[in-house]
Amino acid sequence: MFKHRLRLLLISLLLLLGLVLAACGNEDDTTEPQDDPGETEDANKDGEGQEEEGEKEEASGPTSGGTLTGAMYSAPAGMFNPIFYEEAYEANILSFTHESLVGQNESLEFIPGLAKDWETNDDQTELTMYLEEGVKWHDGEEFTADDVVFTYKSIADPDYVAAGGIRTAYVTPLLGYEEYVNGDTDEFQGVEAVDDYTVKFKFAEPNINPLYYASFTIIPEHVFGDIPVSEMPEAPESRQPGQVIGTGPFKFSEMVEREQYVLERHDDYWQGAAYLDKIVWKVVAQSVMSGLLESGEIDFVADPNGIQPADFELVQGLGNITIIEQPDFGYQIMGFKHNHRTADDVESGTLNPDNWVPNEKLSNPEVRQAIAYAINREGLIDGLLYGRGAILNSPIAKQFWAYDESETTNYTYDPDKAASMLDELGYVDTNDDGFREDPDGNEWVLNFDYPTGNELREKSAPLIEQMLEEVGINVNLRQPKEMSAYVEDLTNDNSDWDLYLIGWSLGSADPDPTGLWGTMAAYNFSRWNNPDSEDLLKQALKAPDAFEQDYRKEVYKDWQKLYSEDLPAVILYAQNSLWAYNDRLQGVEPLPFTMYNDPHLWWVNDAE
Amino acid sequence: MYKYIIRRILVFIPMLIVLSIIIFGLAKAAPGDPFTGRMLDPTIDPKVYEQQREALGLNDPVPVQYVNWAARMITGDFGESMYYKGRSVASLIWERMPNTLYLGLFALAITLIVSIPIGIYSARNPYSIFDYGATTFGFFGLAVPNFFFGLIAIYLFAIKLGWFPSQGTITGTDVAGLQEFFDRIHHMVLPGITLGLAGTASYMRYMRSEVLDVLSSDYIRTAKAKGMSDRNVLYKHTLRNAMIPIITLMGFEFGALLSGAIITEQVFSYPGLGTLFINSITNRDYPIIMAIALLLGVTILIGNLLADIFYSIVDPRIRYD
Repeated sequence: MFKHRLRLLLISLLLLLGLVLAACGNEDDTTEPQDDPGETEDANKDGEGQEEEGEKEEASGPTSGGTLTGAMYSAPAGMFNPIFYEEAYEANILSFTHESLVGQNESLEFIPGLAKDWETNDDQTELTMYLEEGVKWHDGEEFTADDVVFTYKSIADPDYVAAGGIRTAYVTPLLGYEEYVNGDTDEFQGVEAVDDYTVKFKFAEPNINPLYYASFTIIPEHVFGDIPVSEMPEAPESRQPGQVIGTGPFKFSEMVEREQYVLERHDDYWQGAAYLDKIVWKVVAQSVMSGLLESGEIDFVADPNGIQPADFELVQGLGNITIIEQPDFGYQIMGFKHNHRTADDVESGTLNPDNWVPNEKLSNPEVRQAIAYAINREGLIDGLLYGRGAILNSPIAKQFWAYDESETTNYTYDPDKAASMLDELGYVDTNDDGFREDPDGNEWVLNFDYPTGNELREKSAPLIEQMLEEVGINVNLRQPKEMSAYVEDLTNDNSDWDLYLIGWSLGSADPDPTGLWGTMAAYNFSRWNNPDSEDLLKQALKAPDAFEQDYRKEVYKDWQKLYSEDLPAVILYAQNSLWAYNDRLQGVEPLPFTMYNDPHLWWVNDAE
Repeated sequence: MYKYIIRRILVFIPMLIVLSIIIFGLAKAAPGDPFTGRMLDPTIDPKVYEQQREALGLNDPVPVQYVNWAARMITGDFGESMYYKGRSVASLIWERMPNTLYLGLFALAITLIVSIPIGIYSARNPYSIFDYGATTFGFFGLAVPNFFFGLIAIYLFAIKLGWFPSQGTITGTDVAGLQEFFDRIHHMVLPGITLGLAGTASYMRYMRSEVLDVLSSDYIRTAKAKGMSDRNVLYKHTLRNAMIPIITLMGFEFGALLSGAIITEQVFSYPGLGTLFINSITNRDYPIIMAIALLLGVTILIGNLLADIFYSIVDPRIRYD
């Protein structure tokens, strides 16, 4: 009897022991004895060397060698094919490994990239690009005009969207896109290789910004040529280190999925091999970022989040870090629902301004203006962004030539003016509940919705509610919704929404605001319907007048004035990008839209 | 016994079907779909997303979508991820599972090694200074949120002292062999302790109260009266009986092992199933949500079954026919 029990006791103890051992045993399985351990020792030596030399005087000129470690807060989804990736995290890697025909300079003009020169015909329906010769892909093959044609043909492919591609905007204006994507023809006329180093883009209609359409990242035909577009996303050539091939100064050589992404120097880079041996991207939690910068474990952090405004002073105080502070191209708004759609239109997904139902609560532009005066935007920037942001008086980024606030109404915080405007309009408190009623004496409650996901935006909602209540506006601030749910509700707007918060992150290619503020734009969540605005937006894009930037600038000036008066949304603030890097990194020349400018010229002052 | 096990396993099938319907229903009832949260780039035509919805079958009625999914499931095909383009759900789960398993087992090992001896010692010396200390530690462990403890641990041990790495599972791509093994353990220390802390506290409290309970029972008094040594009383009579609830706990722990501590994984940027699950929920990646939820369901059911079987081994009073 006792023996029996003893055995059972042993079993249960063994079980415990087994668990402990299993923890170790499983570890062992993952050990892959492939490389000789010598490599690791070398790496360690490097590490020690860096520490010692970091204290020495700065070297005078660029030296080759060294490893740089960058951080991002979320892991890339793993799609390293420029025509299929979607997120800024992949872009972090692709901006080092792949290139486009043209880039942009400080004043946002297009500059030569893989194309050294170009010309357009008179009506700007044709753009001829002359390519750099002797450019080598990472695998040693030569880059030619066929690669360009192949890239655009892939995006125009009938299977492209179903396979998960979203970049069709680059090919829709090209000649013959409709026929090709519908499968009516096998010949894509839009992009044509004239010879090995000349490629011609043909547009269906005169195009005012043809270089933008030629600025897409190029993928190699010799790698993807035999893979049908529908199978490209799962192909190892789109996701595996060593098999992702570009022309950039670094090649994607190794990864620990979702943790580390290693880029190695591409020795045959056409602009000369990079100084750095390696760039290692690590995925780290945002909460520990400043600590990692301090300890030197991370050398730089940039897009998409950079460092937090609240950490600015902390990071600046570390002493070993340089911060690049620049305005972002995007902005945060509080929108006014001018119109709602009908339930039928929402059901069928129709955008038909004729059916829209005006939102009586906000239909008077002066009411919207009064609300704008009641919002202390300066206060939001100081309080929430710690001053790391700017007021924007029109929905075009300040860095663009098109931004012009000379004739816009700028709503400087003025609660008294807001109150008196509302008084004059007849919005007064008639039943002594502390809130204004509308001119007919009815309750006037503005519903206010906002999404989660952006901490600063979340915090701004109750502050704005308070500001509006101070001038006597009854605001019904509702529970925030998670982004996916929020956008769905914002889109299906046969609802009682009045005020909403949203943020836009925008590109640097062209200031045209039609995609957000055109009446028929899906993202025109205010359902703003102003025929004058439509006219101006169309004028600004109309060939041939719009070939001249000065002409467009004038038109946009008028449009921005109109926008600020009719006010589909109050632009709350444009947050500054805060990018940071360790002082051991030299040669950084940031552009308004990226820190990764000519990374082949980056070097570290403690390389061996 | 075998009949019992087979019966239990057969009951799993309807349970899993019901579970999958509930999860599918809940996932679909949540507003938004894989594209709504992402469609905020004005350079991208929303029609593109509409075409992709159509291609993925997201426009079909929900029951049709469920049947399509279930039909594929039965053939063992978990489908393709909607967010991670071109990746199969199975490959994503296989890729993350080891990380979570190692971390979970490591944490469980820490938990058991720490909590059981302390629990026993506390129970044998109740109301001593050690016992009060252990109790305080126990409540501290239960009360302090995991993520907070994780951040403190990172700040102290990773950033200030530099003893342990704070992020990820491995230093670099260039470590191999035995070095890689130790490197991984090294990376697991902080998340493992963080994850194990809450468990340690509750196991310890359980152990203490069970041992106390058993120590005051009649058969222990009888055993002592017979002149049995304290040592024998403890190991032969007390522990066996006190272990029973711990085994139940561990049955549940099985599921927790896989789900990992979602929050702990986030804080330490530790790529496991927990982070995958959270990401998939925010991205409405239905196939992954379903697969992980089912996986958790199966492990918890199996964990409970194993716990029941061990019961009957440890405690002869329990018999299954």
